[in-house]
This record gives sequence, structure tokens and C-alpha cells, in this order.
Amino acid sequence: MGRSSKDKRDIYYRLAKEEGWRARSAFKLLQLDHEFNLFTGVNRAVDLCAAPGSWSQVLSREEKVEKGEGGEEVKIVAVDLQAMAPLPGVTQIQGDITKVSTAQEIIRHFEGQPADLVVCDGAPDVTGLHDVDEYIQAQLLLAALNITTHVLKPGGTFVAKIFRGKDVTLLYSQLKIFFSGVTCAKPRSSRNSSIEAFVVCQNYQPPEGYVPNMSNPLLDHSYDVDFNQLEGPNRVIVPFLACGDLSAFDSDRTYPLQLDAGKQYQYTPPTQPPIHPPYQQACHLRKNNLLSREDAPTDCPNQSRDQDPSADNICLNDSHCLRS
Amino acid sequence: MCVCLSVSKITQKASVLNLSPVVPGPSGLTPSTESTVYDLVVFGGKAVRLVRLHVDQQHLEARGPLVELQDWALDVRWLSGDGPPLLCVALAHNRALLLDANTRTPLFQRSCVEGCLLYSTLLLVHQSWADTVLVGGTVFNQLVLWKPGEEGGGSEHKAPVQRRLLGHSGVIFSVSYLQDEGCLASASDDRSVRVWGVGALGGPGGSCGDPDPVCLRVLYGHQARVFSVRLAPGQVFSAGEDGACLVWDGGRVIRTLKGHRAGGVRALAVRVRVWRVEANDDRMGKVEETAEKLTDLKFSGDGVPKVVCPADEDDSDWSQSGFVVCTDLGSVYRYRNGLWGLVWRGPSDFQSYCVMETVSVRVKSSWVQICAVGNLSGSVFVFPVSHPQSGILLNAGSGKIHSIIWQKDEGGGFLLASGAEGRVHRWCVQVTSGESCHLVLSALPLPGFLLPLCVKRWLTGAVRVRSGPQGALWVCGDRRGSLLLFQEKDESNTDDEEKERMEVTKGGLTLEPTSVLFGVHGKQGVTAVTACAGLFYSTGRDGCVRVFRVRQTKPDHRENKNSILEPETTEEEEEEEEEEGMMDNLDEGTFKQERLLAVPCGGGHRSWTLWPSLKGVWPGYGALVFIKQGALMASQPPGPTRTGTTGWTLRDGVHGRGVGCVRRLGRVGPPEGLWEVAVTGGEDTSVAVLAVRPDSGAVRVLAVLTDHISSVRTLMAVTRPGGGADGDGTPSLSAVLVSAGGRAQMQCYRLLIGWDRQRAAPSCQVIQVARHRLDEQWERKRDRHKMVKMDPETRQVQGLSNRNSSGWTRRPVCRCFSVSFFSCCRLFSICETKHRIDLLWESFHHQRCVLSVATSERPRRLCVSSRVLLLFSASTDGQVSVWDLPPPSSSQTPPLPCLSFPAHQSGVNALAVWTEEDEGGCLVTVASGGDDGQLTVSVMRVQFPHEASRGTSSTSEPLNRIQVRLRSQARVPLAHAAPLTALQTVRPGLLVSTSSDQRVCLWRVGGTGVVHRGACTGVKHTVCGPEPDHLRVWFWSVGGICEAQKLH
Repeated sequence: MGRSSKDKRDIYYRLAKEEGWRARSAFKLLQLDHEFNLFTGVNRAVDLCAAPGSWSQVLSREEKVEKGEGGEEVKIVAVDLQAMAPLPGVTQIQGDITKVSTAQEIIRHFEGQPADLVVCDGAPDVTGLHDVDEYIQAQLLLAALNITTHVLKPGGTFVAKIFRGKDVTLLYSQLKIFFSGVTCAKPRSSRNSSIEAFVVCQNYQPPEGYVPNMSNPLLDHSYDVDFNQLEGPNRVIVPFLACGDLSAFDSDRTYPLQLDAGKQYQYTPPTQPPIHPPYQQACHLRKNNLLSREDAPTDCPNQSRDQDPSADNICLNDSHCLRS
Repeated sequence: MCVCLSVSKITQKASVLNLSPVVPGPSGLTPSTESTVYDLVVFGGKAVRLVRLHVDQQHLEARGPLVELQDWALDVRWLSGDGPPLLCVALAHNRALLLDANTRTPLFQRSCVEGCLLYSTLLLVHQSWADTVLVGGTVFNQLVLWKPGEEGGGSEHKAPVQRRLLGHSGVIFSVSYLQDEGCLASASDDRSVRVWGVGALGGPGGSCGDPDPVCLRVLYGHQARVFSVRLAPGQVFSAGEDGACLVWDGGRVIRTLKGHRAGGVRALAVRVRVWRVEANDDRMGKVEETAEKLTDLKFSGDGVPKVVCPADEDDSDWSQSGFVVCTDLGSVYRYRNGLWGLVWRGPSDFQSYCVMETVSVRVKSSWVQICAVGNLSGSVFVFPVSHPQSGILLNAGSGKIHSIIWQKDEGGGFLLASGAEGRVHRWCVQVTSGESCHLVLSALPLPGFLLPLCVKRWLTGAVRVRSGPQGALWVCGDRRGSLLLFQEKDESNTDDEEKERMEVTKGGLTLEPTSVLFGVHGKQGVTAVTACAGLFYSTGRDGCVRVFRVRQTKPDHRENKNSILEPETTEEEEEEEEEEGMMDNLDEGTFKQERLLAVPCGGGHRSWTLWPSLKGVWPGYGALVFIKQGALMASQPPGPTRTGTTGWTLRDGVHGRGVGCVRRLGRVGPPEGLWEVAVTGGEDTSVAVLAVRPDSGAVRVLAVLTDHISSVRTLMAVTRPGGGADGDGTPSLSAVLVSAGGRAQMQCYRLLIGWDRQRAAPSCQVIQVARHRLDEQWERKRDRHKMVKMDPETRQVQGLSNRNSSGWTRRPVCRCFSVSFFSCCRLFSICETKHRIDLLWESFHHQRCVLSVATSERPRRLCVSSRVLLLFSASTDGQVSVWDLPPPSSSQTPPLPCLSFPAHQSGVNALAVWTEEDEGGCLVTVASGGDDGQLTVSVMRVQFPHEASRGTSSTSEPLNRIQVRLRSQARVPLAHAAPLTALQTVRPGLLVSTSSDQRVCLWRVGGTGVVHRGACTGVKHTVCGPEPDHLRVWFWSVGGICEAQKLH
């Protein structure tokens, strides 16, 4: 596998690097915006599970375009548990979206004002077990929805990644409690072969008397096991909308490296390599041939538990430099 | 009394029957009051179920309905106290539940203050709920210990965290605890295993162990995520995504166990010194015992050993009979009774390069080992190992001897030396016992063979069979992977004239192959060829065993009697080790396809030799001697105190990884016990022919085909119309199967499925018909890494068999229509007699990935030349295109679609088509299912101007095309909540759809539109996997009642 082999396989990966996005998912938000005009009138936006930060990049770039030079200053807050490389114009909070303190910090950055838009492109580290991944993704979406109820203004918009699996109708029904308009959207930059889609929830209208509460996850009340058995018209299914121009690149297709005759292909390195991936220490050991092996004479390295992995040993071979 | 089963992760489906082999862990099975009945609890997803195991009858009985929970169950344990059976359940949001097993009602539940998501949980239970301790591995890389049964507070009260273990930098996938040593182990996404000293956990009173637990060890050894960890006294076992299981002792890996093919190991159970069971992604359970050691035989001669060959003169012990090695200095040494001795020192031209082969020849009553050594300059020295002085030097051209092959014969053998330019020199070597026990060798030159032109032009295997009066047949395999057939003229039968000619040209005369199967074993080459019971078997480095038959042609003319090689069946041989063709063993193994011997050689060796079990040294085992990095190694034979290496597979997965496609062929067997036959293709590049008993769910693998080099994406089968029947009326099947997949590869087979009365089981014969790869020339291109391969994957194949009145069997040509990920539709023809797949036309009309294709048939009344009416293709932009089928001999220009219409917002995953007659033409209904969850039914009217005006117009208007007009379109926008993945027509007007929302829906299509007729949800029939085209609905339809079955 050459270093350009992924460029051949994945056109959006290549374009993302060429246009300076940190991940190809930037195109997904751009295509969603194209269809829903998500950024119109938005002054305060929150990016949940932001790392590596491509959606924050889109938010800050597009908002600038939208407002022009003289417009009101747009505030963008990016929240992630992991560290993220800094982005100009984006305030970062390294925190847990299931904590009230995180919600409070977001509001503090907005000087007490609620957010106009909350986006979440978080996905679990895919384990390869489909139902586990689907379950974790659903939990992540509900956690994002929960913190959103703390920070979003009535009438605001919430966009999140969803896996269209077995329990998807349950998620739809929970979203419909809080938003009057829920649409399932699939940008064309998201592969047909992926079960991923995005829910665009417009017009936040919490039920009367609803008090946001982190410790009592809102999923419980409707976790009715009979719910999923409903048939026909009783099922909650939200409308579907494919986003993005039909003339856009087909994400399932391979394209030649040289796209137009005039421009010579040149390899572009990833915009932002990952910071502190979980496998960093393991990769460092492997690179230095320190992984324990059967015939290795020496003991495996026995680190103390509070050792801080040094930041200069990022293993680029293994990193998913750009998340999909 | 009750027991608890810890169920591996792969069973995290709400299904009991999905339970893969699980052997009791150290806790063991506690017998119930009647010693042969156990109550098990099986869990997965959001459900728990009680199952009673009757050991005597080997029967599992479900007790009560599925207990559905509000959250995912991560661990379930029985409490050991008296009273009603109680279950402790750990849920994914760090919550524990106490369940009454009889009433299936929750008695208590308690959350932890740390309410985050868990990836793994370990429940340490004792007699009561109050004793329970829960260890959870959180999504935030921590281990938390808490007590769900803590006194005080109701179920609203949240229990505090007692201990918190920090250190991992990834989520925690597995936790294990060892009471005796007070150790806890955790496996993580950060590829490490951590062992913690926690002290006594659980037990009476529910101890939380040491107040300040410490991390004792950090174990880094896996190349990828660690999915499972188990503790045993003094040892840690871990298994992960890299497919390896590591055994740790004191921070060191003492053993690496590998055996799973793909996808990593998900779960692990350890019973020290007896069992180790793993279950993993490839749906296979594997038991391995601790590994056997390799012995270094300490070669003591000069030089570095290069080739090793057996030299066993007696059927006694291998260490006495020994073997010979040839070194880079051209010397041959013999190993006997544990000692090395020089046999023959070759002259200088035998240095630096040599090939060697030995053969056992029976002279009078004793066995004599004859050794042949070839060198770089075309010389072959043949000598008895016991009497090297009576050796003879033979000349085989002037170039390098690539290989030497012996073929035993009475009183000697045939020697084949493969020299330069594809010339194979042959001798008939005879050994006679001369005076004073001297052995006399004589070599009679025979006409050589000329191999077909290719780069690696030498023989790697050969077998000789006598075939009647016209002489002997040689079946040879070469380094290019081809199989060749040579026909030897028997001199005694040839007439004088020919004899004369042969005298003149003797030595110079060469035979050319009468039949060639070029490259059947791929570029890696053939490793061995053997014959048994009229069939020929060949092995190749492609990991396959192929079976062939030699068929006589033109039997009426004696002189021109030819034989051709015909592929008979292909069977799979897993090449678990780096061994090549263990032919002697294989003859027994082919029917059961079981692995007889595996040696962990570690690779990197060039020469090896094997004492097979046939010698009777150790029944069922053989010893392997091989050269590795200049040292001679022997795999230690399993002695009486066996510490053998051989793990064994409890149950092999049908496919190593996900199943990509399913096709039903039909049914076979007696009426009282019919078997449904289906073909599946998987990501593991194999195609499996399965027989399923619908009533019992029993599955039997009839054949596994491993010709694909990339994952199998789609299957197409055309069964003989009306089916066939054996003489006694048992139904049998004959089908043409086309499989296609990655790297634009297509394979075509003829499957003959019958009923074996003796074994009372279905049987399957596979005949390879043809293969096709679009990118075959691609592999020869230079600088191909700089270019994009334009055709990476075939997505779907649809068959259009020419089943016209003249009979399908007499014109065994069928055509298929395939689409690929690179926006292309192609039409192929398959000719069964010519063994060819030809591309008829291709179209890049769609410009996007084409996801599905379909065909429609002409109504019977309008059946003219071909029954195929129209082709349909659909792509990722939601467009459906309709194509008129060009005549087979049409021009090269690809046609434009007759009609193209939008059907969906995004990709069209499935198409289903049926045709109804209409006045002056017909109505074609196309149902399509999309990524948008929509079901679209488009009706179009087709008119045949060509046929309508047939009487008047002459044949000069061949371009008079079919007219297709879209008449109506009906849409069900939200037919499914998720992408629609497959559609099937039960009969015209009745459709079944499946989706990744795990529902199967039945739809009636009529004049009033599309009506939903019913659905079954994923709970009872988990039908669809998350990937599109993951599987297809299988049904046995009777009047609209459909029964869907999930495979995997």
C-alpha cells in the first residue's frame, strides 16, 4: 500500500487534505448546510465530540462567510474528551458531555446566552461488532441530546450522526419529543455502504415543564420494549433527505489520482495528525521493537501507571489521520 | 441449583440458538439436583433467557420467554444463596439489577453515581445481593468498583464508587479476576493488558479489596486492540484484534497462539492445563493445547544445508532411518541414529547450487534409497545412498537443473530433471543387485517433455499412470501453476516404422503436452500432483487442492486417441502452515477436509521433508524436518507424554467473516427429510455450498470453493428447469453458479447436488466451468501503483439463461449481467462447453457506482428468440436505467438505455422485476428499494414494434427497437426506517423487503398502489445485517405466507 492508495480509494479524503480540512467529514456538514441552511442567523454554535475538529473548522469558516467582516462576532465552542489541536476562532473545552459542569461552561462562554446550533459528529471507535457499535452510537446521540437540552435556545437546531439500525425508530421518537422538525439526512459524501446518516432536528421545543437533568437520562421514559414492535403507520419514521448536489463526487467510487488534465496530482499530507490516540504508547513500543514477544529475551517494559506518554512519538503509520 | 454461563461477546444477539461453543470456565457447571440437568442463563443485547440443559439427551430447552431489559446486559450471574434462584444482571449504564429467575421480575435495581457507559463488566457474586461487587470498565478508560447491594436508600439512591483504577488510555473491553491471587486484569483499546493488585473482592460481605489498589503490570504485546483477558494462576491469557492469543508469565509472553483466520479473537475461556477455548469473529471455536517444541538437529558437516530429503530404508523409527541433506558445498550428508555422516562429496560444479530428490526402490527384499542431485550446469548424479560409489552421472542439457522428480516404478523409477528452456529430461532408472552385494544402476533415456512457454518454466510435480494399451500418461504440474498432460507412447505397441524413427531421435525427441490447464493454481505454482482411484489431485501454493479426471476423446480412432484433462472438483485445503502439498496424507483427508498435522514452523524455510503417518511410526502423525536459517529442525514427534501443539477446531465457521450474499438453489433428499440447498459467499473470499434442514435447522457444508482472490460480493445461480431426479425419484439439482466479487473476478461452476443414500446426506459435485478477470492484464502493467485500477469490485450479477424451447442443456450458454463499483454495467456470456466467459458489451452510462441489476423475461406467448426482455440497472444517484438486450453478435458499440428515470433520492440497493402481458405488448413492473428507505414501484409499458411489424417489414431494420414508456410510479416513502437492503418477488404483485432496521415487510402491489401486508420484526426473525446486501430473504412460500430465515 503506497501512501497515495487511500487517495485513490477515497475522493473526499483527498479533497479534504487538499482543501485543508482535518477530516473528510467536513464535506458532510457542508452538504447538510447546503440543504438545510443550518448556519443562517447563527451566532453561537456548539460542536460536540469535536476532535479532530473538522466540523469546528466548517463552522468557523462558514460563519465568517455568512457574517462578513462587520457582522456580529460568532462564538464557536468545541467540546471533546480528547485533546484537539487549536483552531482559530474556536473555543475549546476538554470535557465530558454527560456532565452538567460542561454545559455550564458552554453557557459561560456564550455569556449566559443559549446556543443557536449544536452539532455532533461523534462516533464510537468502531469495534467491528455491528450491534455494539450501533448501541454505543445511540447512547452517544442521547448524551448529546441531553446536553443540548441544557444549552440550546428554543427554536434552535441540533444535528447529530445516527446509525440507521434496529433501534433507530426509538431514537427518532425521542428526538421528536424535543424538536418539531426531525429529518434524516444523508450527505452524498457519506458512503452508500455505510449505515451512517445524520438527524437534522429543527425548532427546539422542549415539552412543557421539562427541566434539563443530566443525572436522569431522558431515554428511560420511552424505553418501552414493545415500542419497537409497532407496525405500519404507528411506527415513528422521520422523512429522509439526500443532501448535496448530484453532480458531487460519488463517495463509493474510486477516482483516478489526476482528476482534471490540467492539474498534476501531488500527494498532500494529512492536515492534522491525531493527538494522543489510545494506541500511541503501543505504537511507540512497536516502532522501537519493545512489544513483548514469545522469543524476546527481555521482559516487556513495565511502565508505572502514571507515566505520561511523550507527545513526540505519534505513530503516523497507524493513525487514522483523518477520521471518516 | 443453578449455574451461570459467561457468554462470549459474539453471542450478543438476542438469540439463544446463536450460542457458539462455550466451555465452562473455571467456575464450572454446578450440577442441579438431578445431576444431569443444568439451568443456564444466556444473555446478549437487551435480553436474558433461561435455558435448561439436559446433558444426557444433549438437549437445550428454553425456559420461559425472553426477558427483555431496558438496557444492554454486560454480565449475568446466579447468586449462590438458598431460596428462589436469583440472577444478578449488570447493565451498560453502570447499573445492576436483581432478577427473580422464576417470575422473571426485577426485585431491585441500583445505579452507580458514575453513570457513564460501560464497555465491559465483571460481577463478583456470592450468596446474596448485598455481597455483590461490580467491576465496570468505563468508556472513560477507568475501572470502577462499587456495590449495587449496599445497604441504605431505595433504588433511587445511587451507590458510590468504592475504588477507581486509572491508567488505561483506551476503553476497557474485558475484565477478569482471580480470587486466589487477588488480581484483576483489564484489556483495553490502548492495546495493553493491565494487571492490578486489588486484594480480595466479593465473597461474604462483599469486600472491595485493598483500599489503595496498585497496577502490578502493564503488558504490551498485541499488535492491535486487546478484546479479552483471562487470569489463571501465575499466568495471564489475552487475545485481541490481531488474531493472536498471548500467554503471559511474569510480564513476558511465553507463548503466542495463532489459529484464527480473520477478524481477531473476541472471547477467550481458560481452563488451566486442560482447555483453552476461543470464539471469535470468524464464528469458530478453537481449542489449543500448549505448544510442542522444535528440536535443532545440530548439523555438523561442512557448509550450510540447503535441501533435505527422506532416506528411510526401513519402516522402523525415523531417527534410525534418517534422511539426507545436501549442502551449499555440494556434499550430501546423512543423518542416522542421531549422527551425521558424509555420503558423497560432489565435484566443484555441484557447489553453490543443487537440487536433490530421493526415492526408495525395492531391490530383492530390501529397500534401497536412490538419491539424485542436479547442479547448475545440467548434470545429474544418481547414486544409492548406501553405495555412493556406484552412482552414475547423467546429462540433462547445459543449463540449470530447476527441479528433480522421482516417480517410483518396479525395480527402479522414472527420473525427471527439469532443465533449461522448459526441457524435462527423463530416464528410466533401474537398480539391480550385482555381485558381492554391489548395486548397479542403469539409466535408460526416454523422450523428454517440453513445457509450454512461460517465465517459470519447470516442473514441480508429476505423476505417472498406465492407461491401457496406448501407453502411460503423465500428469505434471509446473511452477507457473499449470497442469499438463503428456502421453507416453508405449514402444512395444508402436509399429516398426515409428520404432525406427524413435531410435533415430532418441534423446532428442520431446513430447509436448496433449492437454494443458494453464495457471489453474495461480502464479504461485503447483506444489504436488498425485493420483488415486482414477482421479488426479494437485496442490498449489494458492492453498487449494484440485481434483481432475483424464477424459478420453475421439475413442473411435485408435491412433489419434487423445486424452484431455478435465477439472472435476475443487476442494479446499487450508494451508495453515507453510507446508506444501502433503499429498500422502491428503488422500485420507479430502473427504472430511480435516487437518491432519500442523507444525508451527515459523516460516522462512526453503526445504522440508515429512514422514507421513503411512509409515506406521505414529498413527495419525508425522514428523517434519526442515531447514530454517541454515539449521536443521525437526518437529518433535508426539510421544507418550504429549505436550503436543495441535490445537483443534471445535467448529469451523462457514465463512471466516461476514456473509456477503446468499442464493437458494433448491431442495434435495427424500420427501420425508428434504434439505434446502443454498450457496453463500463471504468476505473471506470463499463460496460455500450449504444444505439446511428447515425443520431442525441443521446445516451441512457440502463444498467450499476458494478460487476468489477478494471478497465474494454476489452470486447467481441458474438451476435446471424442472429440476432433476435420481433413478429412484429423489430430487437432485444441477445448477450453474456464477460468483463475482472484488478485483472484478468472476467464477463459474456447475454444481451437481444429489442424495447420497449410503450416508443419508446430500452430496455435491463441483465442476469448474470458467473464470474471468477483467484486470488480468493489469497485473502485468508497469508503474501500476501510480494508476487507479478502474474496476475494483463487481457488485451484482444477474443471470439471463437462454432457456428457450431448444433446451437448456443442449445449449449450455448462459449470459449474465454484472455491475461494478466503477459505474459500469457489463454483459457476459458463459459457454459451458468451451469453458469460457466472454464480455459481450459494457456501458459506462451511469457515471456513478451501479448498485444493482435485474432482468425481466418475456411472457411465454411472446417468446421468440430469447426469453430475456429487458435489463435494469440502478446506481447511487437513485436513477434506474432500462436496457434493451442486444443480440449476442451485435456490434461493439454499447447501446444507450431505452429509458432512465429517477426512483430514489440516493442509492438504489435492490431491484425486483416482473412482467405481465398486456395488449400488444407487456407491462413490466420494477420495484426498487433505496438507501432512503423508500419502496418505489414503477410500471412501464413495453411494445414490440419489431414483432408487430414482422410480417411486413424486412430484416433490413435490425435497429427497430423495443419501445418502453413509463406508465406510473407509486412510492412508499418510509417503507423502512433504515436503508432497504433487499427485495424479492414472492410472485408477481407480492414483494418482500428487508432493511437494516431488522424488519421484513410484505407488500402487495396492485392497481391501487402498494399496500403493506405485514411485517415481522427483528426480535423473532433477525433478518438483516447492517450492511447492504448482507443477506437475502430465503423463503418457502405457500400462498403468500413467507418464512424468512437468517443465515448468520
